Amino acid sequence: MIKIARVWLAVCATAGILFGQSPAKVPDLSGFWERRDDTGSGSFGGTLEKIPRAAIKPEIVKANQEAAARQARGEVVSFGSKWCATNSYPFFMQHSAAWDIIQGQDEIALVPEVHTFARHIYLDGRQHPDATHLEPSVNGHAVGHWEGDTLVVDSVGFAGGGGTPGGGRVTPNSHLVERFHLFEGGRRLSVTFTWDDPTVYLKPHTYELTYYKSEPGTYAFEEYCHADDPAQGGSVVEPPQK
Amino acid sequence: MNNRNGLWAALLVLTVPVLAETPNLSGFWELRFDSRNVPPAPLTAAMAAEDRGVQFKLDTTATRWCHFFGVPYVMEGSTIDILQNVNGREIAITSALRNPARHIYTDGRGHVNPDTFDPVSNGHSVGHWEGDTLAVDTVGFSSEGITGIPGGGRRTPDSHLIERYRLLAGGKRLSVTFTWEDAKVFTKPHTYEFRYYRAPKATEAREFDCNASDEERAKYLTGTPGK
Repeated sequence: MIKIARVWLAVCATAGILFGQSPAKVPDLSGFWERRDDTGSGSFGGTLEKIPRAAIKPEIVKANQEAAARQARGEVVSFGSKWCATNSYPFFMQHSAAWDIIQGQDEIALVPEVHTFARHIYLDGRQHPDATHLEPSVNGHAVGHWEGDTLVVDSVGFAGGGGTPGGGRVTPNSHLVERFHLFEGGRRLSVTFTWDDPTVYLKPHTYELTYYKSEPGTYAFEEYCHADDPAQGGSVVEPPQK
Repeated sequence: MNNRNGLWAALLVLTVPVLAETPNLSGFWELRFDSRNVPPAPLTAAMAAEDRGVQFKLDTTATRWCHFFGVPYVMEGSTIDILQNVNGREIAITSALRNPARHIYTDGRGHVNPDTFDPVSNGHSVGHWEGDTLAVDTVGFSSEGITGIPGGGRRTPDSHLIERYRLLAGGKRLSVTFTWEDAKVFTKPHTYEFRYYRAPKATEAREFDCNASDEERAKYLTGTPGK
């Protein structure tokens, strides 16, 4: 048995050399990943409640409180769902829908089902474009590298407009470092997010989300949104404004 | 078969995906002025008689309201990025459009049972390699999006698409032949070919956002040109 295994390993190693497989062994993150309610909160929103509160600047605290007060009074603070607005990163990472990692040699894509764009993480050694050539985008510009078994991703160039768990915001000044690593024998994935933004945070905001690998054979859905559907448009009806 | 032979057989099955050399289609690809060879589609009488304004209205509505555009438009609406999973089980095609990625499953699975599958704008795609050619079979389309097909006709829930991807010119170009079958739309399979150019290595993904609440944009798209 041991002899057979050794021969097989040698065959695989040779195949890798012959056919250009990367000699560097990196974990295979690919596949569909999904969040579950490990905390027993009963809702996906509740699963974010254990995220540590971000240390944010007083003016952001004030703006958050004012928005919450307006919402409590029945005002609509966002028409994003009515108009099927693009979901800003990191929304899909905390959404209940599974998302798919496609892992290439020089690039990894995070592919969501919700109405936004795939996230492209370049592993080919490129750097972020300089500020004059950086086109702001909802997913930012992401470059990655491996540190042992951990994929480290550095992102800048966000268009902004979304929020982060813990009360923060994403702005064009945001800088995000993420660390992806497998655990439980590859059945689970940990992603640690660290947001830094001098216009939002008093200190870097770090939190972790964990995911379960979806069953083999899982396939992607398309979570469509029709702003011209009266039911969708009526999902957010602006009450009389004072 | 004794246990040892069974083990060898199992190991060979596990090893084959590693040994099988397949072309690497990964990278950004773009269409240029000479990239399309699209003959007129052999339309059914009913389809040929249809007012051209019908398709125009369908596609304009999808654009104005930022619906998911779907196949085939996502293959020509912007530069595409093909990403081939190193484990050989899946290929994704993304674009700058605010549209779900295409997922092409190459892990040997078949199509999902249509009784349980919710049709989608990109359909359900499975692929396999025939020598140096990636053959992709897609069914399960919805009526969502920009449904016009190059050459004429439209994608419907009954459409069946077969694509064949093959590198040319030492990997600098990519040929994709599209063959559509749909008895209510075509009298015989409709085939056309796109030849993409490989984009420069440092090409970055872009995001063409879509804002359905932009009234000026809506007026432009649905109003009289020039007004």
